[in-house]
Amino acid sequence: MKIHLYGLSTCPYCRMTKRYLDDHGITYDMTEVDLLDGDEKQAAIDEVKRLSNGTSFPVLVADDEVIVGFNKTKMADILGI
Amino acid sequence: MRRVFFEGTTVDDLKAYMGPFAERLGYKFNTEIEFVDEVLESELVVLERDGDVYCPCRVRVGDPKEDLKIVCPCIPFYLDEFAALRKCWCGLFIREDVEDGADLIGVIEQPEPGTQVDVPVCLVEDLQPGTARHVKVGKVDLAVVRVGEEVFALSNVCRHAFAPLDEGFVDGYALVCPWHGWRYDVRDGTTDHPNADVRTFPAMIRNGEVLVTVPLGRAR
Ligand code: FES
Repeated sequence: MKIHLYGLSTCPYCRMTKRYLDDHGITYDMTEVDLLDGDEKQAAIDEVKRLSNGTSFPVLVADDEVIVGFNKTKMADILGI
Repeated sequence: MRRVFFEGTTVDDLKAYMGPFAERLGYKFNTEIEFVDEVLESELVVLERDGDVYCPCRVRVGDPKEDLKIVCPCIPFYLDEFAALRKCWCGLFIREDVEDGADLIGVIEQPEPGTQVDVPVCLVEDLQPGTARHVKVGKVDLAVVRVGEEVFALSNVCRHAFAPLDEGFVDGYALVCPWHGWRYDVRDGTTDHPNADVRTFPAMIRNGEVLVTVPLGRAR
């Protein structure tokens, strides 16, 4: 399963999500959107908007499932934890 | 209260400013104190970096008008969405009647657009009998009107030349437009001009708050 996490460096829920994934030995790619600049940042924001209908973080994409916010129940469910 | 941040602003300063502000909108800090402190610590980092306490779980998009809406506590801009979630996005603030905020931390379930939601718009004590006030719920401008102990909500935009109705005056059950005097019945939005009625929304008083029932707007 391909897992990508869109997060913000300052966001407590992004930190919780990372911790949760790490604790369960899940590997994932991550984009820290607030640390990007210019076009790259805009592209990441556009992608988050497209995925989540908003600009809330974290946004976790696991294949075609999208989880907005730190949601243990959903993560466990989708990632088979 | 004036919002003043300065060098050396602390978590306690943020609490002192945000608490009463949220309270007037029917919200309180989450019952999980450590969580609240962690979020506010993050907001201090954001404050230092970006110059204001933007919500730490949202990103600035570079449009000042949009970015203003994520300055914490951003409750007034998302009254309908937060009323449906019973918390702000991150769960730093929860509705006053939520007893245990732990379950609301982090999870952001997008409510279905169109869901009817009771949105607290102000305290009853802030709306004297015979007065109207403007509130923005989602993208809708509403006039909330009190007549005696009854409350009403209707579109705030006059159908004649688009005056803000809340700046007019209340006469019995009529809200009278400030510009050219068109009268709207606050109970059903009717006026005596053809095809110029305004939309009304159910409104009620509960636990000292004025609530208006609106369909939840499209996700922003
Ligand atoms: S704008 Fe309201 S009466 Fe003219």
